[in-house]
Amino acid sequence: MSAHRWNAFFLPVAVLAGPTAYATDYLTVAQAQEQLFPGAQFGEQTLKFSSDQRDRIKAAAGVRQRNEEMKVWRAEKNGKLQGWLMVDEVIGKHEFITYATAIGADGKVLGIEIMSYRETHGGQVREQAWRKQFVGKTVSDPFKLDQDIQNISGATLSCRNVMDGVKRLLVVQQMFLKA
Amino acid sequence: MDVVRRMRPALGTFVEAGASASAGLPALDTAFASLALAQERWSFQDPGSELSRINGSDGGWVPVHGDTVRLLRLARGLMLASGGYFDFTVGGAQVRRGSLPDHGGLPALERGTAHDVELRAGAVRLQRPVRLVLDGIAKGFAVDLACRAMRRAGAASGWINAGGDIRVFGDIELPLALRGEDGGIRPHGVLRNAAFASSQVAAMRDDSFPADIIGPAGLAPQPGVWSVLARSAWRADALTKVAAIAPGETRGPLLARLGGQLA
Repeated sequence: MSAHRWNAFFLPVAVLAGPTAYATDYLTVAQAQEQLFPGAQFGEQTLKFSSDQRDRIKAAAGVRQRNEEMKVWRAEKNGKLQGWLMVDEVIGKHEFITYATAIGADGKVLGIEIMSYRETHGGQVREQAWRKQFVGKTVSDPFKLDQDIQNISGATLSCRNVMDGVKRLLVVQQMFLKA
Repeated sequence: MDVVRRMRPALGTFVEAGASASAGLPALDTAFASLALAQERWSFQDPGSELSRINGSDGGWVPVHGDTVRLLRLARGLMLASGGYFDFTVGGAQVRRGSLPDHGGLPALERGTAHDVELRAGAVRLQRPVRLVLDGIAKGFAVDLACRAMRRAGAASGWINAGGDIRVFGDIELPLALRGEDGGIRPHGVLRNAAFASSQVAAMRDDSFPADIIGPAGLAPQPGVWSVLARSAWRADALTKVAAIAPGETRGPLLARLGGQLA
């Protein structure tokens, strides 16, 4: 053996619970709309980003806007703007997550709901970019996983991805969705 | 049984809450509100948490919420009962090694003893400048509180799964699947009226990253996935750490004495 030391870290272990253990759908778009903006009317719009705009999103949010299009629902009640509902996807280490974020007319996050959570293990990895990111890394790589140490506020990787995603959605709202 | 379930980011992970459909969404909302409070109170990373106020104190009594006193009493009791295999006083060592942030305050001891933490109704006092860290117990305790909140909101049955810290109550059986060290997934039985927690200890050969050994001197956590069943989630959570550190021959009897069972 070399002079390397063996270090040990506690890591969170994903435990999947529920009748559909490997994929769970929590909310449809309609259900997310009703939960996050109860009683509102929704107008659907599609944002299309040029590559320059995607660069600007990345510069402001610190994370890449992967898709060139984004569907957004504008929520109104009696003609008054309530906010926007944005549906986005992120890929974690083991999971593929679709989530809804509600942003109020004042630009504040009103709520985040996971709409669907899928285990990516077993040939379900849909995103090549994700694969690349982890090529050559294993569960024992400390520099990716050190922050995954199970604790009360050190976010796990995929959860951090969602929080980064929300940051990006806030930037999109600031840039493209004005009251 | 019809159930309503939601998943939201909380406690730095994805938390799934479920309850009998008759209790509805309000019961789940109380559970998530309870988890948000736990995060505000017991996060080491957040300089404004109750825990950080305790850690930054100068030896005087620090007023805290009653649940914080309860949690610290459980932690202290388990540290004594486990002979230090569970240790919530090692924050000083972890700050020194860079695995936890330094919020300033008196220079801290690397680690302390259970007797350094003095408790009375609504207040905590540190006898010596130790840094308490509740990572090994607070998430489970938060799950227990969230279940209690759902019950009070009228849910006869339900569950919380906070990234592997799980508790189920009432007339529900929750099938579990566990991810092993190889990333593969295998079924792991059914949980009913109990709590379950898993911790993975990954061994790694690395010179650049400091060791984060939390066992008593000379004992390091043993690599593997450690899963524990118990009646409450705080106990299951904390006992995964005991299971990882206790030497093989004593592990089973020690866990049984402390109210847990290797799963």
